[in-house]
Amino acid sequence: MNIKKKFRVILPVGVLALAAVAWAGSPQILQPAGPGPSTASFTAINKVFTGDWQQYGQLFTSWQGGLFNRIFLLVLTIVPVVFLLHYIIIGAKSFSHAGTPIKFFGILTRFLHWLAALSFSLLVITGLMVVFGKFIGGGPLVMSGRSIHLIAAIVFCLSAAGLFLIWLKDMLPMPHDILWLLIMGGYLSKKKKPVPAGKFNAGQKVWFWLATVGGGIMAWSGYTLYSFAAPVDQIRQMAILHNLLAAGLIAFFIIHLYMSLFAVKGAISSMLTGYKSREEVAILHSRYKI
Amino acid sequence: MARMKFLCDVERCIDCNGCVVACKEGNQVPVGINRRRVITIGEGKPGEKSISVACMHCSDAPCIAVCPVDAIYQREDGIVLVNKKTCIGCGYCFMACPFGAPQFPSGKVFGARGAMDKCTFCAGGPEKTFSDAEKRLYGQNRIAEGKVPLCAAMCATKALMAGDANVIADAYRKRVFARGSGANAWGWDRAYGKK
Repeated sequence: MNIKKKFRVILPVGVLALAAVAWAGSPQILQPAGPGPSTASFTAINKVFTGDWQQYGQLFTSWQGGLFNRIFLLVLTIVPVVFLLHYIIIGAKSFSHAGTPIKFFGILTRFLHWLAALSFSLLVITGLMVVFGKFIGGGPLVMSGRSIHLIAAIVFCLSAAGLFLIWLKDMLPMPHDILWLLIMGGYLSKKKKPVPAGKFNAGQKVWFWLATVGGGIMAWSGYTLYSFAAPVDQIRQMAILHNLLAAGLIAFFIIHLYMSLFAVKGAISSMLTGYKSREEVAILHSRYKI
Repeated sequence: MARMKFLCDVERCIDCNGCVVACKEGNQVPVGINRRRVITIGEGKPGEKSISVACMHCSDAPCIAVCPVDAIYQREDGIVLVNKKTCIGCGYCFMACPFGAPQFPSGKVFGARGAMDKCTFCAGGPEKTFSDAEKRLYGQNRIAEGKVPLCAAMCATKALMAGDANVIADAYRKRVFARGSGANAWGWDRAYGKK
């Protein structure tokens, strides 16, 4: 009897309590599950840490891990070999120095050219020191190479900007440049026939635009690599750009060296004295108005 | 040979940053460099999670692949270390790393980057073990002393574990099982209201 009475009290209370729990619980059931599982938070964490790595991080890693080195090695071997073959098979062009020489480069032009030449050579040497750093042991030697790379870059930018302004008019593309490119400037034959070129031939123009505009891109990407003042994915793009463009610039640098030192005998003297021989101008820069 | 790994249990990390401070102080890390950092996602919202990340000491590490001077190397136990005397501070490892581990102090010339600094798993560096040079360049060598890295040793909630991969993975597995929460079981949170 006593137990029955107690049961009558407990039962409604129990039912009420259960109902209360169910009522309190039901909104939670209707709500989307609040805290996600660990796997969901892993996805969110990945976005912070490794998300953009799949973009250029992976590309940069695989290219820097082998491709760039191979490209630089190819440029440094194939380009000189090709031009060595040219020197052996076709040989250098030489021109008579009879007659009054023609003024080609002013003193400021020559000064800026040699300033650019010196700084560019340093850029190539110190840049390759970083690329092939493992073969010279790294450490303070390559570290100081990086410092020289920075100073040389500033000097090159200033001198190249000067040359850009001086030569811009003569370096604009002309229709006869296509003809020059079709016969490769007459460098594939031993004959001395006048080639279509003004003050500068198409090859020189390509080198000019590559060195000035390309140099500007190198300066821009190089500054990003130096300062790291960009999102990491952009830094990776800049590193890729800097390396690939550098390989192109070095290839043309070697060509420029070959042309001025070997392909045309005495060509370098025009940049030292400012004068070219009359015959050389008549053949290689046939459309240059004296 | 044991393979050393870090494991951070996101269910346990409480964003106290103790690991960061312990690492910085214990290894006398240069100013402006954090070898370890804690990030929090969904801060202040339900489901907030924190994780402590340093160098993961990856297998087939991208930093080793891109280093132009071969300054980074991997020990037999998996710990990835940098030789600061060979490093040229080019920053390629930073670009290759998915975890943002490599850090660079400001160098002496024009503020250019100095040699790279990163988590050593408290295993010192290539210098002679327990030498002054090792301590000055890389910090403590607790692995040689038979201890776990500082960060994991001090972790209050034992969210951060460091050591032999098999051992810590097993400890973590037991934890997940003991939680009985289905923390990693698909659909449990929705089906049973368990988190």
